[in-house]
Amino acid sequence: MLTHIGQYAVITYVFFWIIRINGCIRRGRQPLLRGPEWFFNVHVQPDFYTGAGRDLLHRYWLRMLIPFAVDIPIAVAIFRSGNLMLLNFLMIALCAIIHINHSYSVDLAERQARPFAVAEAEQPVASVVLSLTPRRMRDYSNPVVEWILALSTVASAALLLRYFFAVPEHHNWRLVFGLPVVYFYLQLGIVWVKRVVVAWRTPVPQAQAAEHLEAREETRKHYLRMCDVYRLSAAAAILFWPAEISMSPDNFDRVFQIWFYGWMVVSIVGTVWVEIRRKQLVKMALRARPVNLPDFLHESKIARWPVCYQPSAPMLMVRGARGYSLNLANTLGYLGAAYMVGFVALIALLRLSR
Amino acid sequence: MFLTIDTTDPRPIYQQVADGIKELIAQGKLEEGAALPPVRQLAADLGVNLNTIATAYRELQKDGLIVVKHGSGSVVAARANTERTADELARPLRTAITELVLAGLPTSKILRMVTRELSLVQKESK
Repeated sequence: MLTHIGQYAVITYVFFWIIRINGCIRRGRQPLLRGPEWFFNVHVQPDFYTGAGRDLLHRYWLRMLIPFAVDIPIAVAIFRSGNLMLLNFLMIALCAIIHINHSYSVDLAERQARPFAVAEAEQPVASVVLSLTPRRMRDYSNPVVEWILALSTVASAALLLRYFFAVPEHHNWRLVFGLPVVYFYLQLGIVWVKRVVVAWRTPVPQAQAAEHLEAREETRKHYLRMCDVYRLSAAAAILFWPAEISMSPDNFDRVFQIWFYGWMVVSIVGTVWVEIRRKQLVKMALRARPVNLPDFLHESKIARWPVCYQPSAPMLMVRGARGYSLNLANTLGYLGAAYMVGFVALIALLRLSR
Repeated sequence: MFLTIDTTDPRPIYQQVADGIKELIAQGKLEEGAALPPVRQLAADLGVNLNTIATAYRELQKDGLIVVKHGSGSVVAARANTERTADELARPLRTAITELVLAGLPTSKILRMVTRELSLVQKESK
């Protein structure tokens, strides 16, 4: 049974590689999206790409290959070990690595390009516009989705408990509850990501305020929708689990095959939808001209390392001297750190109880 | 509903925030019971210390313009008759007029300016 699941993990991993090609091309084109006089959001001098700019661009492209440098040796080790189920965890970790690497690389490239920027474009704008509309999780939550998630989780838990206590000697609790608990924990992690997205800063310049706000809000909604899709996928996996473990091996293979290919079709449709939506968001973002906003907190001085503790700064991510810095003096920072510790503890517990 | 913060404005940021919200309430754009963003949201959006926004909210609360409910945020208060005396209310007006007089403006121009500002606020609130 597990061998078959391992084969499906390999198919998913191959699919993951294929969809990453498009992401690589998209990220590679990103510096020049606004035209030859721009490098990301930095308005550069006309001779930039014939001089230092070319080197900066090449270095950015090289940094985009870091996730592959992480992925390939680990994937080879997994294939050699034969524990193909680990590919699923590798893919989850890679999703995070790709996004973090991209954010840091863009920030680094922009900072390196600033000395070559058009002087007047680098001046911070005098007026900043703030929205007085409160941003709360409930304002961005879809009640139908939340009900589906809650009901499916309760139903799955009930089915698993029924299955577990159905025989006097009971089954192995780790086999019955292990995977659903991990999926549930991942769901909680996505809720944390949603909170971060809701809290995402929205200061905009007075000029073109409507364009900036529209782009920011639509992007926020897009990310939140993506989070809900991931949560629903995890919930579907939890709901399917009781059926998986209680079936005979013959039935299991057939049902799992249907489930897997159904999931693949949904993933392909989802990927196409995400790409279409992403293009619309890029068009929207390009309408708003990038500007430098005033730095009231002198963020580059208070945050010099990737992690900082600044109770005076209310943001989770501070734009420090060496790129983004995670501010641990923040409720979301505490929660994120606690979540990571909890995840390691959960995996250790599941492994120890073998 | 937007609030504008100007870095060239000599007023401190907390004052600009408080004045901006007062203006929106006076114009009727922020109606009674309307929820205001949490202090943390506004501070993070603007990239300022939490105390800056907390001070602005405290000033608005002191003036009876907002009600701070612990745990559920701040809302615009009901427009009840103010407890402040006419003299207290006239104080900022007197300060502003003093500024105009010291700037050397003639009385007629000052009157025109005051009338224009009043009509602007009233027009927005309609």
